[in-house]
Amino acid sequence: MRRSVLVTLLLTLCAGTASAENVATPIPIGIGVAQTSNVALLGEEEVVGAKIAEKYFNAHGGINGTPFKLVFQDTGGDEAGAINSFQNLINRDKVVGIVGPTLSQQAFSADPIANRAKVPVIGPSNTAKGVPQIGEYVGRVSAPVAIVAPNAVKQALKEHPGIKKVAVLYAQNDAFNTSESGTFQETVKKMGLQIATLQKFQTTDTDFTSQVTAVLGAHVDLAIVSGLSADGGNLVKQLRQLGYKGPIIGGNGLNTVNIFPVCGQYCDGILIAQAYSPSADPKNAINAAMADDYRAKYKKEPPQFTAQTFTAVQVFVEALKKVEAVTKKKITQQDLGKVREELNKQIRTGSYMTPLGKISLDQEGEIHQENFYVAKIKMDPNGKTGKYVYVK
Amino acid sequence: MDDFLQNNGFLIVTLVQQSLLAMSLYYPLMAGQLSLASPGFYALGGYVAAIIGTAEYFAPWRDSLGWVVFPLEWLAAGIISAVLALLVGIPALRLRGIYLALATIAFVEILRVICLNLEITGGAIGIFGVPQLFDSRWNYIWTFGPLLILMLFFSYRLDRSRVGRAFKAIREDELAADAMGINPTRYKVLAFVIGAVLAGVVGAMSAPFLNTWNARQGTFDASIAYLAYVLIGGSRSMWGPLLGGTLLAALPEILRPLKDSRLIINGLVLVFASIYMPQGIAGALGNIRSFTVRKLGFGGGEK
Repeated sequence: MRRSVLVTLLLTLCAGTASAENVATPIPIGIGVAQTSNVALLGEEEVVGAKIAEKYFNAHGGINGTPFKLVFQDTGGDEAGAINSFQNLINRDKVVGIVGPTLSQQAFSADPIANRAKVPVIGPSNTAKGVPQIGEYVGRVSAPVAIVAPNAVKQALKEHPGIKKVAVLYAQNDAFNTSESGTFQETVKKMGLQIATLQKFQTTDTDFTSQVTAVLGAHVDLAIVSGLSADGGNLVKQLRQLGYKGPIIGGNGLNTVNIFPVCGQYCDGILIAQAYSPSADPKNAINAAMADDYRAKYKKEPPQFTAQTFTAVQVFVEALKKVEAVTKKKITQQDLGKVREELNKQIRTGSYMTPLGKISLDQEGEIHQENFYVAKIKMDPNGKTGKYVYVK
Repeated sequence: MDDFLQNNGFLIVTLVQQSLLAMSLYYPLMAGQLSLASPGFYALGGYVAAIIGTAEYFAPWRDSLGWVVFPLEWLAAGIISAVLALLVGIPALRLRGIYLALATIAFVEILRVICLNLEITGGAIGIFGVPQLFDSRWNYIWTFGPLLILMLFFSYRLDRSRVGRAFKAIREDELAADAMGINPTRYKVLAFVIGAVLAGVVGAMSAPFLNTWNARQGTFDASIAYLAYVLIGGSRSMWGPLLGGTLLAALPEILRPLKDSRLIINGLVLVFASIYMPQGIAGALGNIRSFTVRKLGFGGGEK
């Protein structure tokens, strides 16, 4: 008797795992970003973007009338946490697709897991080279540095057509800045400008006299600085104090309000390329809706990661609608595995009108973004606070 | 069962992996040396495996050797770790107590910054697309599991060997041990090298397990985490690192449903464990056993 009960139990268990299952209602979409650890500074901006998207698209009818819900699993700041988060989303929460993780390094660790499980992933903030190439189920909506950075150089040339000689400075001990500076150097050469001097510094340096002297001695028309906020800010300050008058381009490391206290009034006029602008295109209704919601809650301009995560959720929502159109069946009446597969195909077709402007994902999963933006730092008269003003 | 392993396979293997790393700290502690160098060797081992697994130069090897390349990676990581541990250990182990700890922290930092700046280690992004030994994360138990059993057996034998007794003699009183004819420097370096080789091999096994390897693997934070494993688990018993590593690595994941408050609970467990179990979990369990033996006469036969 007891044995037969056990056998039936085992059989049902086995049957349970073997049988195909349908997508749950509301349709679960996974968000695996960093909600704890020091990476949470970035991850929290992403959580906000995802939540705004959930509210917005569900209010606009969800997926052809079926609501969707976001399932959050914290990745923490490390690689193992990202894998755990993805495993939970894939196997326990049975999501149709995942937005995440926050860091490129985490993407290299967790994305292969999703790829093997055939679950589509969209990276909201993975800018490193090679992320979409992890596998056919991996894509991203964050444009790589090599595409974003050159826009600042173009803008500088537009404002100062006479630029001929350029000084390039970068923090040599930081990988991101080293590779970003490589992009800047290539761009400068491609545009027919001359790199008059190439100066290296350390992110821990505070005195930049030798670099500044070299820049002034080379009589350059443009200075390009790739550094983090403390060193980059100080470098800009010393450049100005010692008499450099030309335009300055900052890398992504200077793309933070944290540099205002470092270079104070001297921050004024630094040009920085951006993948997102909250106010560049007033005709972009979806961006206006997202930005308004964000401003109402947080009383400030939405940051790039918020917009990119919103975009990632939007891509899933619109692609799910396309899946319904192609299969002519409700998502929730279809097998989860088949939906994931078809969803991955649909993500890569057509284009999306998002807060980032018009974008599309190619077969590899790489984003193609139409508009990039350049912001110029405008300091307030008190020399302590300032803002990023978008130029176009 | 299948579902359970799909969900938790990675976590279970992580527990074994973290226990092994805790053990790598346990051997120097056996000889009374507070060394926090393990994450450095762990990172080094991972880089060795990742580089052998992805670099152009090793491509013909990989093609001709097939899966045999993986044990070779472990071997290479072990040997390189041993050599580096000897080079670092001989001068560093002249320092005692907190100064040795500081020197080993410095070692971990130096290694991290070097890896961050080298071309071959991929800078801050690291090395990705590390070839896989298995498809499912759970299957990695077949690399970490046997290593854990091997190391437990090794610890068990070491505890009762001449070398193990020498370690403990140095831990209790270095001067007295020296007077009795034990060469403290030799044994201290030996303990350090054993720990380093273990950490290196675990690193080499972890690179395919985590799919990628970067400079964030060997950090000061990791040093502190491993130390916590040993202290909470118990530093006087070979079971201590196993218990501590398993428990502390599992807690944040078990508490995952608590969302944001999980790290608070995690912290509370650490605080209470260190207040009420100063000898660690293994020590507390040992006390219970000796209590039952003494007072109630259970489990006799042992002295």
